[in-house]
Amino acid sequence: MWTTSIGKSAKIGLLAFSLAASVAIPSYAASDALTVVVTDEPKSLDPCDTDLSGNARVLRNNITETLVNLSPADGSVEPSLATAWEQVGDLAWKFTLREGVSFHDGKAFDAAAVAVALKRAQDPTLACEVGLATLKGIVLTPEVVDAKTLVIHTDFVEPILPNKLSALDIGSPDTPTHAKSREPIGTGPYKLAAWTPGQSITLTAFDKYWGDKPAIKDATILWRAESAVRAAMVDTGEAQIAYEIAPQDGTTANDHAFPNAETSVLRIDQEVAPLNDKRVREALNLAIDRDGLIGTIFHPQAQKAMQVVLPSVFGYNADIPVWSYDPEKARGLLDAARADGVPVDTEIVIYGRIGIYPNSSESLEAIQTMLADAGFNVRLEMLETSPWLKKLLKPWDGGRQPSILQTQIDNTEGDAVFTLPNRFTSDGNTSSIADTKLDTLISDASKATGDERKRLFQEAFKYLAVDAINIVPLFHMVTIARIAPDVNYTPDVQAGNEIKLKTISYR
Amino acid sequence: MSLAYFVRRMVFAALALAALMTSAFILVRLTGDPVNLYLPVDASDAAREAMRGRLGLDRSLLTQFFDWAGDMLRLDFGMSLWHNRPAMDVVLEALPNTLALGAIALTLAFVAAIVVGSIAAVNAGGWIDRGINVLSQAAASVPDFWLGLMGVLLFAVTFRLLPTSGFGGPVYWVLPVACLFARPFGTLVQIVRGSMIEALNATFVRTARAKGARSKRVIFVHALRNALLPVVTVTGDLAAQFAGGGGVVEVVFGFPGIGKLLIDGILKRDFAIVQASIFAVAVVIFIINILVDMLYASIDPRVRVE
Repeated sequence: MWTTSIGKSAKIGLLAFSLAASVAIPSYAASDALTVVVTDEPKSLDPCDTDLSGNARVLRNNITETLVNLSPADGSVEPSLATAWEQVGDLAWKFTLREGVSFHDGKAFDAAAVAVALKRAQDPTLACEVGLATLKGIVLTPEVVDAKTLVIHTDFVEPILPNKLSALDIGSPDTPTHAKSREPIGTGPYKLAAWTPGQSITLTAFDKYWGDKPAIKDATILWRAESAVRAAMVDTGEAQIAYEIAPQDGTTANDHAFPNAETSVLRIDQEVAPLNDKRVREALNLAIDRDGLIGTIFHPQAQKAMQVVLPSVFGYNADIPVWSYDPEKARGLLDAARADGVPVDTEIVIYGRIGIYPNSSESLEAIQTMLADAGFNVRLEMLETSPWLKKLLKPWDGGRQPSILQTQIDNTEGDAVFTLPNRFTSDGNTSSIADTKLDTLISDASKATGDERKRLFQEAFKYLAVDAINIVPLFHMVTIARIAPDVNYTPDVQAGNEIKLKTISYR
Repeated sequence: MSLAYFVRRMVFAALALAALMTSAFILVRLTGDPVNLYLPVDASDAAREAMRGRLGLDRSLLTQFFDWAGDMLRLDFGMSLWHNRPAMDVVLEALPNTLALGAIALTLAFVAAIVVGSIAAVNAGGWIDRGINVLSQAAASVPDFWLGLMGVLLFAVTFRLLPTSGFGGPVYWVLPVACLFARPFGTLVQIVRGSMIEALNATFVRTARAKGARSKRVIFVHALRNALLPVVTVTGDLAAQFAGGGGVVEVVFGFPGIGKLLIDGILKRDFAIVQASIFAVAVVIFIINILVDMLYASIDPRVRVE
């Protein structure tokens, strides 16, 4: 019968396929090669676009370097391409540059190269991310004193210029000045070997690197959208490090959680009733069982937050009490507000963003139930990034519904000034609070130095959380990375933005 | 196929393409402004306006439409915002991968379905038929996403036979092909089975058997040829669907095809990529339809393609 012959060929076919497959699968992980899998392909690989973590992860301190780095432990400024710096007068900072550094294209690293990078980053026609974000609102004018000395003039007193420059990746002076680059040339320990669009980026060690030679010679960066697939790639040896593993996939001994400098919060639109009543905003905070969310929907190592920055950020206030879970008190506050004519029964919409962090939808579903239990009339709306950004950014519709918005705020620059002004002052484009006292506090703190600066920022955080209650702080978040057991790598608080390849080796 | 027929088809295809591209132009703009996605949250309003100006998004929709339509007539689809390269270049890199993936999966599904469906039809009502029925219905209804992840867990993680994902030599194609194979295989088995049972009971087959024709010849020559027409129709439809890429499968396996590109383009509001992808896929679907028509005529000479 012909059915029998099909069965036989199927068996032979399967056997042949298994043999072919077992010899065809490449062997991975040479002793000096490493593959890292991330979620998304980077956008431009331009040195001036490292505000986006997808780009920074490939570039920062791998291909390109900055004048200074920030310590992941306490945010203090550490030397990199600059060996020393000092404020010389109110409106100028002097940087002494490292000797013996060259770019991958053979050009010498000097003050003129930094000047070119700085001008390029601030060029409005290029719309560089670092110029639009970290260096926004300040005019930096470089003055080349000599090859190894650069003075940067500022248009107002800038006490933390070195912190800001830790975000400026410096590319070769030959980087195109009128277009974004896909072929970055830096001074870092690795140079770009290839970028195969849609597939992978490979880096190879730069022989003439000024610092210690890295243990890994060739690194490949891949991207896969699915957390389960990323995790599986480490198990099979196709990758040695996989970032952003979802909590439900990250339960093995090879999964390591690390704080990622992000704080999850709900932003309250306090311009719209009933959220313009402080009792209602307090009730929102009291109605959420944060302990119940940790270890279930959020990772067990997430920390309950009371402000939007981590303890490692300058200006963090350790004395703000964490909100307790007290639904009875929340109900009482709502009743009192209702008795005074506040429309507390108006529907409040919770805007969430799909995938802003693992289990983002599930967390809001739980919070919606908690708020409803405390007497709120709430509806959940999960949005994709683009419509969510419309809710985050001004201008907003005048006749809008009362709402709270799921968001996540990061601070990798180590100072509160990178978090507070745009998000919590009257003219901030994502701020839902307009309070002159807070405006003054943030403005004064931004100009101050030393202990005074710290005190003012701490006061601002306290005012925001306790007096104004503009936010529902949730957690200081963690990211899970799966790391092959033979790889020596400890992700730190900056690992969300940087894959520090030179710190990685095989055991 | 006469020249007049071909010209008529071309004119209709051009009109359909124009309508489709106009809808695409309007729909992608209705989904939101890309500027907020591309600039940091801290960027000022002035920077946002400047970018809108650079992209021409500050002009009236009608002006944007006429400029875009003029460019499209020259087959210029503009620069991809995300890839920072001409959108058509990016699309033409992804399209062959998807077409190859779809062609392999569909050819295998077509051949396997004819064999398995015929076996079921020959054994209609028996336990083999019932088994095939259950199997094909399961194959037709299993979600691609689930099948993909199970494939990774079983064949990559547990048995270490295949890579989890990626793009390269033949082994990288096995799991994506297997995932894309399942649904058309299940669907086609059902159709082959049904039309074969009908054909095997037709008078001409009974006559052939009565004249002493051998069993295999009756099944493969007389009955199958007559049963093929509905199978080709459905396969043509499936091929058109595959031209748009198996989006979920391509995303799960990191396969650089047009489906993944289109999903990313929509999520990133990369208008040029979305429009160029839709155009390329629409052209491929038109070609597939012509080919299916020609195939009809060669299978059944009674069908005249005019």
